[in-house]
Amino acid sequence: MNVWAIAVNTFREAVRDKILYVLAVFGLILIFVSRAVGWISYGGELKIMTDLGLAAIWLFVALISIFIGTQMIYKEIDKRTLYTILSRPIRRWEFLLGKYCGLLLTSLVILAALSAVFLAYLKLMGAPVTGAILQALFLIFCEMMLVTALAIFFSSASTPVLSAVFTFMIFGVGQLTKWIVDLGNLIQDQAPGMKLALKLFYFLMPNLDNFNVRAQAVHAAARGSGWAIPPEQMLSIVVYGGAYTAAVLLAAALVFRRRNF
Amino acid sequence: MAETITQGVPALRIEGLRMVYHPGLFQRRKLALHGLDLEVPKGSIYGFLGQNGAGKTTTLKTLVGLQMPTAGRAWIFGTDIRESASRAKVGFMPENPYFYEYLTARETLDFYGRLAGMPRAERRRRGEYLLERFGLGHAKDGSMRDFSKGMRQRLGLAQAILNQPPLVLLDEPMSGLDPLGRRDIRNEILALRDAGCTVFFSSHILSDVADICDRVCILHEGRKVAEGRLPKLLGQRVLEVQMSASGVPKEGLHEAAKLARRAWHDGELYHLLLESEDLALKAKEAIERGGGTLRRLVPHHESLEEYFIRVTREGDVARLAGAEEGSAAPEAASAPGPRGGLGA
Ligand SMILES: Nc1ncnc2c1ncn2[C@@H]1O[C@H](COP(=O)(O)OP(=O)(O)OP(=O)(O)O)[C@@H](O)[C@H]1O
Ligand SMILES: [Mg+2]
Repeated sequence: MNVWAIAVNTFREAVRDKILYVLAVFGLILIFVSRAVGWISYGGELKIMTDLGLAAIWLFVALISIFIGTQMIYKEIDKRTLYTILSRPIRRWEFLLGKYCGLLLTSLVILAALSAVFLAYLKLMGAPVTGAILQALFLIFCEMMLVTALAIFFSSASTPVLSAVFTFMIFGVGQLTKWIVDLGNLIQDQAPGMKLALKLFYFLMPNLDNFNVRAQAVHAAARGSGWAIPPEQMLSIVVYGGAYTAAVLLAAALVFRRRNF
Repeated sequence: MAETITQGVPALRIEGLRMVYHPGLFQRRKLALHGLDLEVPKGSIYGFLGQNGAGKTTTLKTLVGLQMPTAGRAWIFGTDIRESASRAKVGFMPENPYFYEYLTARETLDFYGRLAGMPRAERRRRGEYLLERFGLGHAKDGSMRDFSKGMRQRLGLAQAILNQPPLVLLDEPMSGLDPLGRRDIRNEILALRDAGCTVFFSSHILSDVADICDRVCILHEGRKVAEGRLPKLLGQRVLEVQMSASGVPKEGLHEAAKLARRAWHDGELYHLLLESEDLALKAKEAIERGGGTLRRLVPHHESLEEYFIRVTREGDVARLAGAEEGSAAPEAASAPGPRGGLGA
């Protein structure tokens, strides 16, 4: 109940912020620009357009999640709006979870709106729209679940600028985790310590490239049928995302619980 | 919630509350509260006084769970403040309250009502009522961005008493208000008390405190330097005594006048101003020995302001003496003014 009230209020804050609309227009422009890029390259222009459009949506929603998420908790403390909230019979984790859910709801609505425009546009252009594309969009949402949790975690412990830097760093490194594995394989036997450190790093970093099935989705859509990845793999990715998110939120709640305002 | 209050339990009890701030790695620690003990009886209006930086806000924030005390405990109607359920019985108004700018006044109260677990109909009824009562009826659908300080202050009080909690904690509710606004808040506090609510508030406006409080606590650099019922605290010391007498022969008057700081007469009536009760008694005897009649004897007590300044000074002296004996706490209290050569 408390979580829901705070989530709805957080969502309301985002909806009433005009900046969001400016950004949304920007996102739409990005989608349409993907078409222009498609024209420039020969052959398979619809495939490229689909691929770039998905990437534009992914990047745009990630930017919004990170920017809003890293400011959110700090703003409540800085403007002292949380004094009149936390002084009520509400637990600190409820407040944090409410803020998280509110932001996730915001991301979901933006993602849904952009996706709707994008899919309509694809159809109009005669590009194939299949379940594989929906799968890719759904996994973008799962990735945002995790990225938003990271933003909230840093935001509940430090300043917006630092939080944004950390979240972007992890977001960036998280895209490259497959490379880390390859790197580990390269230096196999010469330096076992280094290899262990890399393994640990790989284990701790969120494997965000797991969520990226955009290329597969475009191929599957071009073939006209089938999934981007098999459902079992999809399930394991979702479970991974959920577990990682829960762990990050738990850590955020522990940090937040001990703070003095 | 009023029915859950058990008889005899104080509205608020604080035991050995201590707060040490650790601002940063290389900044010095700040001892904001030195083991505060306090009890606020049910149904009282309790004034919480102290200079800037005395620790009033720190205490209030700790009581509502915004800060974790370094040591010590507190109970609200017998419920430990570490349990979030204790906050169901408190309304809190922070210093210079601030609200979400994207909400209207009506939406703000509705949001707080939700958090307080009030059903929708009651939220609406109570919200409308309070907005009208606090003179915000004309602005209830206006953006909070356009609210003046006084309007925010009123809304701050409205949100604190929204779900009619039996204890209300207010941090400087009258600060920054015009005389009319101050009077409104004062009357509101009196009305709350009459409705059975306990009000505990910090303030720098001593005349307001003297007007409406039953009890006060004066805090000085994190320590309690005075506490008790207001008439009792101020009645302890007589600053001067004014005496009026009639029918006094010259000699008797002369004797009494020698004891007085000032003596004058208008017509039949002779007036004397004496520095202490002892002197007043002697003067009275002299007058009566001389055959005069005592008409009036008025002891002048300390005002709250004089009392406040005196105990705060005494607190300084006591602390300095303690520091010389080496019995002071290792972290010296953070003084807002000069540190007075205190070692720490
Ligand atoms: N977050 C904080 N970090 C470090 N020191 C703090 C913090 N908050 C308060 N202090 C210090 O604790 C002491 C008590 O501050 P507090 O705000 O409780 O005083 P106050 O009695 O409310 O004063 P005022 O009348 O000015 O509101 C001050 O010396 C202040 O500098
Ligand atoms: Mg204060």
